[in-house]
Amino acid sequence: MPARPARPGRSSRPLAVTLAVLACAAASGYAMDWPLSPPRFAATFGTFAKGRVIVGAALSADGGLVRSSEDGEIAFAAEDGSHPAGLPMPLGSFAVVEHQRGMAAVYSHLAPGTLSTRVKKLKSGDAIGRPGRSGWIEGSGVLFQVFDRRAGTWVNPLLLLPPLADDKPPVIRSLALSRDGKTYVLGEASSLPMGTYRVSADVVDSTGSPWAIGPLAPYSIRLSIDGVETVKYVFDVAKGSGGKLNFFAVSPIAADDLRTSAGRYLLVERLFSRGRVTMEIRAEDAAGNRRSSSYTFLVE
Amino acid sequence: MEEIGRKRIAAVGVILAALAYFLICAVPLKKELLVVPVWSKSLSEVLPPAASADDAAPAVGIKPAGPQGKAAPAAQRPGASGGQGSASSGDATSALPFRLGDVFGYFTEEGKILFADRAAYGVALAPDAFATYDSQSEGFVLRSPTGKELSKVTAVGYPFFAAGRRFVIGPDQATISELGDSGASAWAYQFPSIVTTFDASPSLAVFGLMDGRLLGFDPSGKVVLDFAPGGSRVAGVYGVAVSPDGLLVAAITGADRQRLVVLERRATAYRVTYHRYLPSDYRRPVAIAFTDDGKFLAYESPAGIGIYDRAGREESVIAVPAEPKLGQTARGGLLMVFLSSSAGSKRLVCTAAPDRRVADLRLNARRAFVLARGDSIFLGLDDRIVRMDLVER
Repeated sequence: MPARPARPGRSSRPLAVTLAVLACAAASGYAMDWPLSPPRFAATFGTFAKGRVIVGAALSADGGLVRSSEDGEIAFAAEDGSHPAGLPMPLGSFAVVEHQRGMAAVYSHLAPGTLSTRVKKLKSGDAIGRPGRSGWIEGSGVLFQVFDRRAGTWVNPLLLLPPLADDKPPVIRSLALSRDGKTYVLGEASSLPMGTYRVSADVVDSTGSPWAIGPLAPYSIRLSIDGVETVKYVFDVAKGSGGKLNFFAVSPIAADDLRTSAGRYLLVERLFSRGRVTMEIRAEDAAGNRRSSSYTFLVE
Repeated sequence: MEEIGRKRIAAVGVILAALAYFLICAVPLKKELLVVPVWSKSLSEVLPPAASADDAAPAVGIKPAGPQGKAAPAAQRPGASGGQGSASSGDATSALPFRLGDVFGYFTEEGKILFADRAAYGVALAPDAFATYDSQSEGFVLRSPTGKELSKVTAVGYPFFAAGRRFVIGPDQATISELGDSGASAWAYQFPSIVTTFDASPSLAVFGLMDGRLLGFDPSGKVVLDFAPGGSRVAGVYGVAVSPDGLLVAAITGADRQRLVVLERRATAYRVTYHRYLPSDYRRPVAIAFTDDGKFLAYESPAGIGIYDRAGREESVIAVPAEPKLGQTARGGLLMVFLSSSAGSKRLVCTAAPDRRVADLRLNARRAFVLARGDSIFLGLDDRIVRMDLVER
């Protein structure tokens, strides 16, 4: 795999869109409201599990109502198992609601038979259905996804939703370097031979949900090597292009290249020459809680 | 006396003239098309015992590739069988697939039930193979119409089969892969948004997306169609149909205003050859399909079944209430057979192509399917399969 040095400053259209969305959100308080209350994360934007990647927020709930995040209109609604073409629907019973500013939100895995289809126009807070476990979902709740029609990107809903009272920072489980099938976990290994290594990290965000689709992705991961920021992953948008899903507004990376087979975030591939190396990894969640870890090791 | 004689002669003349008229000008009565029952088989005799199927189970799709899709929610029970159903020896090469709620299987034209079972969660059915899967499927067993294991496939998602091709849709409903003969993924594609509908022919598979795009793939996975019809305030694809020869693609797209768009392959690209704004404003998947001879396109509309004549590029409507399930052809394409459904009842409608209704049967069944083969119509009604032959007399 080729090295992926960070390319800070390179802008793209998704970035412009994201910034516009953020500006809009800042101007109007927050653009959307939580579709479930209280929101408990079963997956965050960028969560990987069982060969799939979440481009939304999965919220767990056993009861209550799934509500429209803002004013809008139902653009598409489908009940699980009812497709006339026989298309199976892993999203189960779901609705696509056309919201403001070209944003469409998908509310999926609703309880069968509860999907509201009588009215097309929705006010913020109107019921769309009940949380459920239709389709491919590990527990009861709703998967909430936001699609920016103008940019053709999935947007991290947390950019548009009010902040949560969350004081638990992400957990940095480990930072490791691997080469030729050997993995050196920093902290356990204090020296390693010179060569080209893949640097990967095991970072998870905390969850208050009784079930989770997979280890929750933090909002951002940054890696500095010898004081120079080398990697900056910000889970802001994801865009399908050319048959692949790419994450990040700045320096997009294919989802397949973002994780190792063991589920760790693949950060960079880099040649390490002899000498002392200091690495610092920082992880941040959407509420702004941060955690960092620093490692120093000797390359021989 | 002379007057009486003249009257007799006149009467005889009238009778002779009438006889002559009937002999010379007689037109034989037109033959009537009769629906003759041939056999009826009960599925309850061959099914393994299980909980009853769900009332809300949908009528099965009746595309030529056979019914497929997710089984009724009531079948989401632990321990429900998959591939362990009742099988009998028979000629699997002429197997006709069926699905009635969570019950699925195969039968022959002669009335032999080759296999019948209940799906634990979902089932993908094709004339040559089937696979059951659970709600978090990471693989499935491909089985023959008699239930014999053919191969094991490792693939995350739900399988669905169409036009002799085998696909898997990923848990995100935005990833599609097609399986090769070995069961391994031949190609995979991550769509930019959610897949809302699809149809396939042996040469072309088309997927409609939430963002209003149509993407078509050849069997190698090459994108041969990438088109966004546009023209509506709300983007989306609500239904798509591919003609059996793969040359035509039709779609119901957009909302406010909704459109029927027909594309035709010209040289190497698909071009719009017909479009019309529809009175409908569906915000759900819409039934649309080419008849299995490819001559007509049938689609769901508020007025009934819309028919698009491919040859003349003309449209007509068959007024059928409720939601129609589209369209099989019988008698070499002379008849079209539709199933419409409303709460608690079904109707079987046969039309002489394109829009002259010749039969309209009300069926007392909650779940139904229809298959047409030649001069035969196979009808599934709850727990029974019936063969009826179309005979002219």
